[in-house]
Amino acid sequence: MTFSSSYLLSLTTFIYLGAAALYLIHWIFRVQKVGLLATLVTAGGFVIQTTGIILRWIESYQLGYGHAPLSNLYESLVFFSWVTVLVYLIMEWQVKRRVIGAFATPFASLAMAYASFNSNIEDKIQPLIPALKSNWLIAHVVTCFLGYASFAVACGLGIMYLFKNRFSGESKGIIGVIPDCKVLDELMHQTIIFGFLWLTLGIITGAVWANDAWGTYWSWDPKETWSLITWFVYATALHARFVRGWAGRRIAYISIVGFISVMFTYFGVNFLLAGLHSYGSQ
Amino acid sequence: MKASSSIYQDNPIWRFFSSVRLAVFLLITLAITSIAGTLIPQGESLQFYLETYGPNFFRIIKVLHLNDTYHSWWYLILLGLFSANLIVCTLRRLPFTLRLFRRDNLSVDYERLLRMPFKKDWEIKGELDNDSIQSIISAFKDIAGKFHERIDVDGGRLFLAERGKWSYWGIYGLHSSIMIIFFGALVGLFMGFKGNVMLPEGETIDHIVNRQTGEQIPLGFSVRCDRFNISFYDNGAPKEYRSDLTVLNGNNEVARKSIVVNDPLVYRGITFYQASYRAIPEVAVQVAKSDSPRRSLIISAFQKALWPEEQLTFGLMQYLPSVHGSPAAQIWIGDQEGRAGALWLLKGNEKQFKKGEKLYRISLTNANQRYLTGLQVKKDPGVWIVWLGCAVLIVGFSVVFWVPHRRIWLWIGRRKGKTIVILSGQINKNKLQFEKDIRKIEDALDSSLGAR
Repeated sequence: MTFSSSYLLSLTTFIYLGAAALYLIHWIFRVQKVGLLATLVTAGGFVIQTTGIILRWIESYQLGYGHAPLSNLYESLVFFSWVTVLVYLIMEWQVKRRVIGAFATPFASLAMAYASFNSNIEDKIQPLIPALKSNWLIAHVVTCFLGYASFAVACGLGIMYLFKNRFSGESKGIIGVIPDCKVLDELMHQTIIFGFLWLTLGIITGAVWANDAWGTYWSWDPKETWSLITWFVYATALHARFVRGWAGRRIAYISIVGFISVMFTYFGVNFLLAGLHSYGSQ
Repeated sequence: MKASSSIYQDNPIWRFFSSVRLAVFLLITLAITSIAGTLIPQGESLQFYLETYGPNFFRIIKVLHLNDTYHSWWYLILLGLFSANLIVCTLRRLPFTLRLFRRDNLSVDYERLLRMPFKKDWEIKGELDNDSIQSIISAFKDIAGKFHERIDVDGGRLFLAERGKWSYWGIYGLHSSIMIIFFGALVGLFMGFKGNVMLPEGETIDHIVNRQTGEQIPLGFSVRCDRFNISFYDNGAPKEYRSDLTVLNGNNEVARKSIVVNDPLVYRGITFYQASYRAIPEVAVQVAKSDSPRRSLIISAFQKALWPEEQLTFGLMQYLPSVHGSPAAQIWIGDQEGRAGALWLLKGNEKQFKKGEKLYRISLTNANQRYLTGLQVKKDPGVWIVWLGCAVLIVGFSVVFWVPHRRIWLWIGRRKGKTIVILSGQINKNKLQFEKDIRKIEDALDSSLGAR
């Protein structure tokens, strides 16, 4: 097969790396046409990646395993990058500010690069182990990763906010093209709300599934606990807006800390801590 | 209501518990302290912590119960404070919300309409005829939706299209959902149990062992494992663990189910999950005294087999599936007087042994695996309360963040000899979309006033 899923997905890695570079060039050198090109390349990469994911799903049926491509670290990284690009493209379409791409697409391309180039990550299609054979697999992974991806974008917005805030006097140059702090703050808030809903749904679907599989909806497994920690961090961000003087810069910091917590929930728990979710590390 | 709330608000303790600052502080504290229990393994023996962390850190672990962080006194205090904060915040907001909810939004005056965040006014010389007024009202209604009217507000007619007033209650749903979930967890804690059981194929149990206390819990019925089966993929990875279970009430079979991971058996509110399995070797031997007839015995690992006529006891000490292609087993043999010995048997080779004066022959005729299925058994009447809480959480969250309270006013009246039309609006979330809606009404009014 010339157009196997693995071919398309490796291709996606390079396309997203290119797109991230184009967005950076667009931001730093302020060339409008490069911005349009960046969007087109990202959208093209998204189509190729979507095809790759669907193909991988079909291939798993051809191998006789038959499961959605959401079952191991490689597949989750691909999916994370896919959702991140999806969330970003929707935001670009709504807000029409391409500068945000320079802060959002790197997350997607880094995830793909990590999935493709790290030799410890198994990229072959593997059969599902008994614990993962459940209808809740798709619901749980999709909701969690919609949350993770939104938080990645919110983290990018938080970094932009701090940049902008730091050099607030400059109205020209690379700082000038970054949207206003007020706009960024509102976008960040909306993205966190969106991600928080999905994280909550991810935790709930995980609890329902755990109740089906292990007989307990909450067992303080490190992955569960870290998802709850992440939930606390973003709950802080949502409440902090009601405390005088906490909007803006502090929420930008919380958004970055929150994403570190997301990353630890995603990777740290798999690699550093033992627990029930160990299949995520293979 | 008003009087009582002001008394509460003067109370410093009440004020402390009702502050958002406390909520933010508790959320951050919970986030940070929760990390401890993910770094330190939970639920190990005290010996383990002493050996792993040394005597100094061990003391900290013991005082702070870091071996069971999430049930430790300080974590429960944090959760208790969190609940108190949640409840007091909610109660404190209640009068405020009631006022917002009951407020008559038609009782605004001319001046206030002009101070609204979204506002546009038109001045028209002379009077508007009835048709024009009707066309303005219908243009307003087309976009703003259903409206209420009040006549003679500062000398004009006031129209109000209001939507989503009930959304002020969303926050109560959202916050009470957390309490519902806590309540469900408590119900499960006090009215449910969790236990494990290892059930060999072919055997029946009528009780299980509580995982925490080690107590025996009678089920009120019995469960038999008819068969355990494990299947593998071509690459050797496990594909499925399956136990065929039968529920018995006395001697009557009342239910049957093949359970696999993710698909448990539920009977009378008690759920049986496929959790683990163990394979134990089991050998069949034939024994005989001198030249009397042979007798078959089955010896399982961890169990004694008895030859009652001769008062001999057999045990399986070691089992090797293949020695030069044949299974082999080391059998332990003891008698009444406490004399014991062991011998190795290879399938197909007969051996002799002596106990006292008597001579016996023994041979290994068959060997296979016997499975024990590991079941997790649970009763949790609170789980549906938890799911209810989760549903309320999601609905409440969506209402709080996405259902706005939207008000659009239209005033038509006369001032200083001129006809004045005012369009104004207010919304508490999603301002961007609202601005677009207001623009639409503006344009519609523009054209209907311009066409006059």
